[in-house]
Amino acid sequence: MLLSVSDRSRVSRPADLVQGTLDLLILRVISLEPMHGWAIAQRIRRMSNDELRVGQGSLYPALHKLEQQGWIEAKWAASENNRRAKYYTLTRAGRKALENETAQWERLSAAVSLVVRRA
Amino acid sequence: MRWVTKLRLRLRSLLQRDLVEAELDEELRFHVERLTEEHIAAGLAPREARSAALREMGGLDQRKEECRDARGLVLLDEVRQDAQYALRGLRKTRGFTAVAILSLALGIGANTTIFTFVNAVLLRPLPYPASERLVILREQPAGSAGTVAVHPLNFLEWRARAASFEALALAQTPPLDVIGADGADQLTRIQTSVELFRVFGVVPVLGRAFTPEETRPGQHDVVILGHGFWQRWFGGDPAVIGRRLAVRDGSLTIVGVAPPGLRIGSIEPDAYTPLPIDPAKPDAIGSRSFLCYGRLKPGISLDAARAEMATVASALARQYPMDEGYGVSVSGLHEYLVREGRPALKLLMAVVTTVLVIACVNLAGLLMARAIRRRGEFAVRAALGATRGRLVRQLVIESLVLSFLAGAAGLVLAYWSTRALVALTTGALTVGSAAPIRLDAACLVFTLGVATLTTLVFGLVPAWQVSGVEPRTELREGARGAGPDRRRHRMRSALVVTEVALAVVLLVGSGLLLRTFSRLVQVDLGFQPAQTITMKLFLGGRPDDARVALVDQILDRVEALPGVKAASTIQFLPLTGLNCGTGFWLEGQARGDPSQALPTECSLVSRGYFAAMGIPLLDGRPFDRRDRMGSPRVLIVNRSFARRYFPEGRARGRRILVYSSNQAWAEIVGVVGDVRHNGLTTEPAPTVFLLHAQTPGYITSLVVRADGEASAQAAAIRRAIHEVDPLQAVSAARTMEEYVADSLARPRMYAALVACFAVLAVVLAAMGIYGLLAYVAAQRTHEIGIRLALGASRGDVFRALFGQGARLALAGLVLGVAAARGLRAAVSTLLFGVTPGDPASYVVAAALFAVLALVVAAIPAHRASRLDPTTALRYE
Repeated sequence: MLLSVSDRSRVSRPADLVQGTLDLLILRVISLEPMHGWAIAQRIRRMSNDELRVGQGSLYPALHKLEQQGWIEAKWAASENNRRAKYYTLTRAGRKALENETAQWERLSAAVSLVVRRA
Repeated sequence: MRWVTKLRLRLRSLLQRDLVEAELDEELRFHVERLTEEHIAAGLAPREARSAALREMGGLDQRKEECRDARGLVLLDEVRQDAQYALRGLRKTRGFTAVAILSLALGIGANTTIFTFVNAVLLRPLPYPASERLVILREQPAGSAGTVAVHPLNFLEWRARAASFEALALAQTPPLDVIGADGADQLTRIQTSVELFRVFGVVPVLGRAFTPEETRPGQHDVVILGHGFWQRWFGGDPAVIGRRLAVRDGSLTIVGVAPPGLRIGSIEPDAYTPLPIDPAKPDAIGSRSFLCYGRLKPGISLDAARAEMATVASALARQYPMDEGYGVSVSGLHEYLVREGRPALKLLMAVVTTVLVIACVNLAGLLMARAIRRRGEFAVRAALGATRGRLVRQLVIESLVLSFLAGAAGLVLAYWSTRALVALTTGALTVGSAAPIRLDAACLVFTLGVATLTTLVFGLVPAWQVSGVEPRTELREGARGAGPDRRRHRMRSALVVTEVALAVVLLVGSGLLLRTFSRLVQVDLGFQPAQTITMKLFLGGRPDDARVALVDQILDRVEALPGVKAASTIQFLPLTGLNCGTGFWLEGQARGDPSQALPTECSLVSRGYFAAMGIPLLDGRPFDRRDRMGSPRVLIVNRSFARRYFPEGRARGRRILVYSSNQAWAEIVGVVGDVRHNGLTTEPAPTVFLLHAQTPGYITSLVVRADGEASAQAAAIRRAIHEVDPLQAVSAARTMEEYVADSLARPRMYAALVACFAVLAVVLAAMGIYGLLAYVAAQRTHEIGIRLALGASRGDVFRALFGQGARLALAGLVLGVAAARGLRAAVSTLLFGVTPGDPASYVVAAALFAVLALVVAAIPAHRASRLDPTTALRYE
């Protein structure tokens, strides 16, 4: 399970929508500050008021892919409890991608809600 | 910038795999630990907390695999899988694999072999610093394409006037007789002005170069040893400097050793001695008989140097009568040395490229057939979700595997054939550097490039075509065993026609060259090369009468040897590329007026020459013992001379004056047959024979006609010479037949190589026809079964398939003959005795190929006509 909206509202949805959404969430969260994987997952959960949960560990393939794409950069640094952790930062390209993805997401969700409300 | 980052990351993932793996491990472990801590905080026991965390992660290894996937490492693994799959597939279809690899390997092998030569002869720069600035200067008579050697006066003037050159050097190559432990020996020598080493940009590895003082007039007994000679004679002893090298009349002090591999023009001298030039009397050392090498100043182009020398030459022509009508030719040294090999290699490169194209066309046809046969497989894979890119990649990797195997096989072939070719091209190609011709890194890169390129061009097209299958129609069609796709079929036919046409072009070309060669072998040389042996003698340093006496005594001794029929000498042997042009005056003409001199070639011979060389006497008498220094001066002329200058007949008895070192009015006492002195393809020129006993020369060659095997006499002849003068050096013996073989070397190379490649091309083209028909027959098995069942005769079936093959062959033949006629100009300069449109070559080539093609087409056609209808109908 890549990303789940919390159990109460489990619905099936196309895989790539979820995939793209996770990328967007990651980019958005680390646009605030450099963060390691664990913190990113926690932050997504908190920011969505516990609605969105990233499956344990399923974050990492997405992070590695974004890194390969050049949207985020990784650096090793001491974590808050003084252990070595891999911190991800948004690159300039990543910031631009975040803007695009956000705009696209907004268009999409607006369109979806439009349909859903009228139906 | 972004792709750079990406590339860096990809490479990091690829090359520092261990580090990336370790980091991935640590990153995921960090996550597991945090999760475990969270569970412990929620009240679980540490061990349970950890296993719960691992469970939630859904398997660490799977996560890692996903991450690797995201990093693009999967692509590599898939490529490896594809390659393994391809190898498995190739192993399963051995016939296809063998044919494909063999044809491509032959094409690649031929190309690599010829490229090895192109690389060694044309591409590899000369092995000297900034060698692109090395030039050779020659004098150019107006209105003539050829050039002549340089006059020392002109060299001095050029050196004083021209600003384009960093250095200019004058050189000549008289042999040097040295006295070693085993008696006298003849060395190759460069006699040179002081700047030679500076021109070539090298310094002696031991000792020093010549000083300017040593090239001023006077006696300078110094020598610089060639590196090879130093190794041979002195075992590379560094203490050789200061020692003395014994020569006929004294000894020379060794002052230096030249660097290894230094070649002056096309020779690697054993010794270098100074060439003293007296500025007051430059022609004391000779006339237009010197080589001039130069080094351009940095930044000066060849064109700029040429322009400057044109100005210098016209100034000199105004100042000196002897320079009237002479210009200066400046050529890059490398360019000049390879001037004869270049067209040969270009032709051969074109030929092997054609062979490669045929091989590739063959391969493309095979791949296309194979791919079409596998459409069902691809349809299934597409239906199961393989993307078009993935299918193309699979096919391209398959052909890459194929072409790398073929490339490897081609390299092995090239390794062998390069060695064979080095032997075949000896004497046919001039190489500017001493480095041996062999496969090197450049050739490997070339092979790799050719292999990859052929794959991309000839593997991608069928791959793209076939990968576009529509699973639904394909699977349905396949199930019904439908007939061949017409469009693809036409394309394969076009490929076969192309390769047939190319093969026919090569076949016609090789026919022309073979006929040229056979004409050359039949050329009437004008002398009898069999049973004749020659050795070079250098008579220099003695007074005139001593040289005459020496030759006289040597001839007496050699003639007296058992088994020797005749012995004589000549200054420049026929077919060695050396001749001497001069002028003469008829009686009654103004003597000594150069503008009235008539041109003739001249040869300086001894008594008995015509008997020794086997040249027929047409009129009068030969030279004999009575003709001496004090007796009346006599001459003999050849037939061309007699016909041209005495067309009314009766040349004998006329008196002429030949411009030469010891000139005097002389009577023509005989006329002899013409000899092709300047090469097999050059018509004999009017020639006058002067007698050495009356006009002694410095360089000469002994010519001995023996009863049996001439070369068996070499040792006895050498002994006879040493009985006359123990210190007289003699060169290695060569038979006249060897000189004849030398002058046939290049045409033989052309004929042999082009014929080889033409046979290769024909075999490949025949394979192409066979492959296509066999494939069509297999595709139509079902249909043939129906036809036979419905009453078609076996003859009908045979005719249908055979007719298809014959039509393709005929189309290729017509196209090939037309193309060959279009390319006539390309070979015309290589031909002798046949016209480029020679009907026999065309007819024979076309007939040979037609017969082969029909036989090849008959095999699958016959096989198809023998099909059993019931089996054929069941065939899927």
